[in-house]
Amino acid sequence: MLAYPLIAGVLFGLYFSLLGIGLNLVFGVMRIVNLAHGDFLMLGAFVAFGVFYLLGLDPLLAVPLAFVLFVIVGIVLYGLLVPRLQQSRDPEMLSIILFFGLSQVIEALVTIAFGTSERSIPSRELGSLMTAAAKALGAKPEGGPVDILGQSFPAAWVISAVVSVIAIGLVYVYLYRTRLGTLTRAVMSRRDEAFATGINVDRVCAAAFGIGLGLAAIAGVFAPFMFGSVTPAFGADATVTAFVIVVLGSLGNPLGTALGGVVYGICYMLVQTFLSSWADLLPYVLLILVLLLRPSGLLGRKVRVA
Amino acid sequence: MLKTAIAALGLGMAMGMSLASPVLAADAPSEIKLGTLYASSGRYASISMPVHAGLKLWVEQKNAEGGVYVKAFDKKIPIKLIAYDDQSNTATASTLYNQLITQDKVDLFVADSGSVLTAPAVTIARDHKMFLFDQTGTGGSFFSKDNPYIALMSDPVSTIWPKPIADFLTKDGPALGIKRVAILYSTNEFTGTQANSLRKFIKDANAPIEIVYDQGVPTETTNYTVILNNIRAAKPDAVIHLGYAPNDIAFLRNVQDVGIKFNMLFCIYPGLETELLEKNVGAKGLQHVFTYVPPSEMAYPVNFGMNIADYRKAWDKKYSDGKIEFGFNAVAGYTTALVIEKTLSVATSLDQMELRKAVFSLSGKLKTLDGTFALDETGGQIGELTPLGQLELNDHGHIKFVAVYPHEVATGKPVYPRP
Repeated sequence: MLAYPLIAGVLFGLYFSLLGIGLNLVFGVMRIVNLAHGDFLMLGAFVAFGVFYLLGLDPLLAVPLAFVLFVIVGIVLYGLLVPRLQQSRDPEMLSIILFFGLSQVIEALVTIAFGTSERSIPSRELGSLMTAAAKALGAKPEGGPVDILGQSFPAAWVISAVVSVIAIGLVYVYLYRTRLGTLTRAVMSRRDEAFATGINVDRVCAAAFGIGLGLAAIAGVFAPFMFGSVTPAFGADATVTAFVIVVLGSLGNPLGTALGGVVYGICYMLVQTFLSSWADLLPYVLLILVLLLRPSGLLGRKVRVA
Repeated sequence: MLKTAIAALGLGMAMGMSLASPVLAADAPSEIKLGTLYASSGRYASISMPVHAGLKLWVEQKNAEGGVYVKAFDKKIPIKLIAYDDQSNTATASTLYNQLITQDKVDLFVADSGSVLTAPAVTIARDHKMFLFDQTGTGGSFFSKDNPYIALMSDPVSTIWPKPIADFLTKDGPALGIKRVAILYSTNEFTGTQANSLRKFIKDANAPIEIVYDQGVPTETTNYTVILNNIRAAKPDAVIHLGYAPNDIAFLRNVQDVGIKFNMLFCIYPGLETELLEKNVGAKGLQHVFTYVPPSEMAYPVNFGMNIADYRKAWDKKYSDGKIEFGFNAVAGYTTALVIEKTLSVATSLDQMELRKAVFSLSGKLKTLDGTFALDETGGQIGELTPLGQLELNDHGHIKFVAVYPHEVATGKPVYPRP
C-alpha cells in the first residue's frame, strides 16, 4: 500500500521540481516573482502540440525546441520589462502585479488563438523515438507502463522524471561549473556588490531569466502527459504549485527546489492514497507549515549567504 | 335606446378586451434583456462555452428574423443578450449574477453551465425573486418545494440521472457477474449528488451488489494513477467514475497509461462531450467504456425548434473554426433557448412568477432535440433522460454508441467483461 504512492511521489516529485526550478532561478537572481511562470509552462505545452500535430514528430523533440525558443523569449522579455522594474522602489511587489498582468494577457491571447478546450497528446507518442531506450527500462512495447519494484507506472512519468533529473543536473552544472554560473551566484548572493565589482548584472540576469523561462517551457512539454490535458487557463494552477514547491525547498535556491518537489510529490501521493478528498488542501497546508516551522525552506540558510 | 345599449355593449366589450389582452403592443419594450454568464477560461470553460454558443446561436437566429414572439405584448421583440465572463470563478460569478439583476435589470435570468457555477445563481435568484432558467446545473440541493424560482432546462436532475446505471448494475449486473462496485467521484454538487443517488439506488435495490470502494476527490484532480492503484486493490467488477470532462480525460488517460483493464468502466463525459474526449483520450481509450447516451445519438422527434441534424448543420456553419466542440452541452444551450422562446410565446406578462407558470405549462408537452421537456414540482428536470450506453469502434475505427439499458431503447448487448 505504501510502496506505490512513495515511488509515484518520487517520480512525480521530480517533475514537480522541474515545474518549480525556473521560477526559483528567476526569483533567486532577480528577486522578482514571476506570476506568469505557469503561463510559460502552458506555452511549452503548446510547443509540444505544434511539434506533434503540425510536424508529426515525437513530442520529446519539443524539449530542446521549447527551451531554445523560450530562452530567447525570456531574454527579449527581460530587456523589455525587468530593467524598468528594477529601478522602482519595490521591485518585488511590483513584479507581482506586472507578471500577473502578463499572465492574464498570455492566457487571453492563447484562448483567442486556440479556444478553451482541453488538449493533449496520446501518451504512447512521448518518446516514440526512444522505444528502444524505454524497452531497456522495462517498458512494454508501444509506450506501455514501466515496472519499478513490481509496480506499474506510466512511461511518461519515468521519461519526465529522467528529463527533470537531467535538467536539474544541467542547472547545477551551469551554476557551479561555468563562469556565467559563478557570476549568477554572485548576483544571487549580493546584487549590489556584484555590480560594484564590474559584473554585467543585466547580462547575467537576462541569461537567468531566459533559462528560467526555458525550464518552465520544458516542464510544459510534459504537462499534457502528467496532468491529462492542458487548457489556456492551466497556468494559474501551475504557478501556485510551483510557488509552493519553491517555498518548500527554499526561495532563491534552485537546487532546494529539487528537494521541495520530491517532498511535495510524496506528500501529494500519500494524501491521495489515504485522504483523497483533502488532496486539494495540500499545497496550502504545506505552505503554512513551512512558513511557521522553517520560513527559509528546507535548504534555506545555505542560499541566502551563498 | 337600442343604439345606446349597443354602444354601451360595444364599449364594454372593448374595455373587456383591453383588460384581457395583457399589455398594448405600443407599451412593448424595444428589446427583451436576457442576462447570463459564461466561462471563457478556467476549469469549466469546456462545458460552459458550448452551452453559451448554443444560446448565442439562437439569439442571432431569432434577431435576424426580427425577434421572438412575446405574447405579453403580442409582437416580435428582439433579444438583447447580456453576457459576462465569470472565468470559472464562483466569487466572480456571484458578483456578475447580482449585476445582471440589479444593474442591468434583465427580464430573463439564465445561469452559467454546470452545477458549480449555477450554485451562486440559485441563491441570488431566490433572494431577488427572479426566476432562474437553470441550463445544466443539476445539483439536487438546488430544487426544493419552497423555492419556486428555478427550473432545470436541459439535463436530468442529478438525483435521477444515474438511475439507468444503478438499474443496470442491480438488475442485469448479477447475471453478468457484477458483484463488486467501485465509485469514484469529484466532490462537487453535480457529481457528488450523482454519487449519493447512485449509492442510494444500489442500496435500495437490495441486489447482491457490494460497494467495495467509495471515495471522493477534489474536482481539480488531474492525476489518478495512485487512486487507480487503490481501486484495483479493491478488486471491483465495475468502476463508476463521476467527474467533469477534464477529470474524465485525466482518469481515462491514466487507466491507459497504467495498463489497467476494469471489466466495466463508466464515465460521464465520453457520452456528453464525445468529440472532446475522443480528441484527448483517443478512440481506443474510449472503446468499451460505459457512458450516458446523449440526445444527438437518439435523434428525438421534435415539435419545436430544429432537430438534431439541422442544428448540427447550423452549428457547423456558425462555428466552423472548430474551437468549440459540438456535444451534449451545445445541445443544452439551444434547448434552454427553445424553452425560453416557447415560454415567451405563452406567458401573459414578464412577471417572474408568470414566467414560471409558463415554463411549467410546457412540461410534458414540449419536445425538442433534447427529448421531452418534463419538470417535477420542484423544477427538477425529469424528462430528457439519457440511457446507459457503451462506446464501441465502428468499421472505420471511430466511436459509435450502443444503448444497453433500459432494454426498451437498447440497440445492442453490453460487452462484459471488457476484453
